[in-house]
Parts: sequence; C-alpha cells; structure tokens
Amino acid sequence: MGFLVWLEEGALGVFIRESLWGYPIVLSSHAVGMATVMGVVVALNFRVLGYAKDISALAFDKLFLVGWAGFIINLISGLILFCNTPTTYFFQGSFQLKIAFIVMGGILMKVVMNSVRGDTSEGITKLLSAACIACWFGGVITGRLMAYV
Amino acid sequence: MWDYDTYAPIASWFESTWVGEQMRNIFWMFPMMETFHFIGLTILFGSLLVIDVRVLGFGRFINMRAAMHFIPVAIGAFCINLLSGLAFLCADPFRYFPNVAFQWKMGLILIAGINALWFWFGEHEELKQLADGEDADFRAKVIAGLSLALWVCIIVLGRFMPYVEY
Repeated sequence: MGFLVWLEEGALGVFIRESLWGYPIVLSSHAVGMATVMGVVVALNFRVLGYAKDISALAFDKLFLVGWAGFIINLISGLILFCNTPTTYFFQGSFQLKIAFIVMGGILMKVVMNSVRGDTSEGITKLLSAACIACWFGGVITGRLMAYV
Repeated sequence: MWDYDTYAPIASWFESTWVGEQMRNIFWMFPMMETFHFIGLTILFGSLLVIDVRVLGFGRFINMRAAMHFIPVAIGAFCINLLSGLAFLCADPFRYFPNVAFQWKMGLILIAGINALWFWFGEHEELKQLADGEDADFRAKVIAGLSLALWVCIIVLGRFMPYVEY
C-alpha cells in the first residue's frame, strides 16, 4: 500500500492527473498499442484456427516483432495510466482480471506457437488458440469495464 | 458550413431512432457497444497489419496472395465498427456532430476508404503476382504506409473525442 501511495504522489501520478493533454495522449497511445498487439495476436490465431491456410504460420514470426512493439507501448502507457490512481486500480476487480487475462493470453500465445512448431495434434492447437483469443478479448472487455465499475 | 442549423435536423432524426432510445435507456448497451467497437478495431487493424506489413516489405516472407485473405476480415471488422459507431451516434448525436475530433475522424475514415479503393482497383491484381520475398513497387508501399498512418490517426482521434468538447 505504501508503494501505491508513493506512486500516486510521485511525479508520474501528478503529471497524468494535472497535465491538460497528458492523459488523452497516453490513453490514445494505449489504444494504438492495443490495436497493434491484439491485431497481430488475432490475425495469427485466425491462421492457426484454419483461416488463410496458405500463409505459413511461421512467416508470422516477423509480425510478432510488430506485436511486441505494440505490447511495449502498452506496458509503458499502461504503467503511466496506472499511476493516475494506483490505490484504486490495484484493488479493482476488473483491473485484476484484466492483468490476469493479459498474462494468460501472453503465455497461451507462446504455447500456441510452440504447438504449431511441434507435433501437437491440430485439435489441441486449435483449442489453445481459441482460448488465447478469448483471453485477449477478455482483456479488452475488463479494460472497458474499468471505466464503469 | 457545418453549424447547428445544418446538423440539427439530422441529429434529431438520429436521436429519435429506436437504437438511440435503447442506447440511452439500457445502462449496459453503451459499454457493450464500446467493447464491440474495440474488438472490431483490433481485428480491423490486425488484418491491415498483415497486408500492409507485407506490402511495405518488413513481412516480405508472408505470401502476398494469402495475405489478401485478410481483406474480407478487415471489411467484416469495419462493419462491426460502423454499426457500433452508428449506435453511439444515435445515443447522443448532438454531442458528436459538433465535436472536432469526431469530424476529423469521419474525414480520415473517408480518405482511408478512398485509399483502400485505390489499393483494390490499382494494385491488388498486380500484387497478387508477387513471388515470396519479392518487393512490392513504390506506389503500393505508399498506399500501405498511408493506410497504417491513417488508421493510427483514426484510433487516436476516437480516443480524443471526450477531451475536445466545449
């Protein structure tokens, strides 16, 4: 709790609460980062689920770099947004769920790519892929809920 | 040109629709439509990324012909966003019509649409002939770069809408 108060009272917290354009600029970066990282994740999982089969799933490797760029934008912008009211967010159920969904979605993405490369059966791979998409969409839904709950 | 007297009749019509009424009366309709709008935007942007990153050359190892499969996905996602966007508009048109960020956003979507038509009618057939790893021509790269830049601006403008009201 002491750490959360320190964050809230720190320079980033003051900046995001008090600067006129700071909040909308960081919020927009968060939306662009989301579109990038989730765009890559969704496209890749569409492919794994059987759409556009003539693209080699491995050719997507380079696209992952773009996805990582989006993820880093969102990690940084997310941390700054978190400093707005960390003492509230930290205990908010929708925030906790959102983070859990993103962590799960990230791990599942790695697992899906490993099973595409390995000899996991197609059925299991598709199941994992569907779970991966569900987690990322869950992240969007809970993220939206944060503004309402 | 786009002053109150011009848009008021159109806005009143949007406001009086059944959709507008539902959006205002059922408390979870607005957040649900927002969620659809966000999911639609990730699918749209992701599909464009596959195609545009391939054309720009960074994703040269993606088969160009296969990347085109994401065109119908992009169109489908755009329809999700068009419909959920119309629902927002019906909910509170007098808030959106005079909003500068909204006006720019609509203008840029129109330009992005023209850019997409240029891609489809001007480049699409030729690009489909590209071998794996082969570079696209400069004009196609300009279209792909414009497409990504325009959609980034459209996302940003959408997020700015609540902050430019006065």
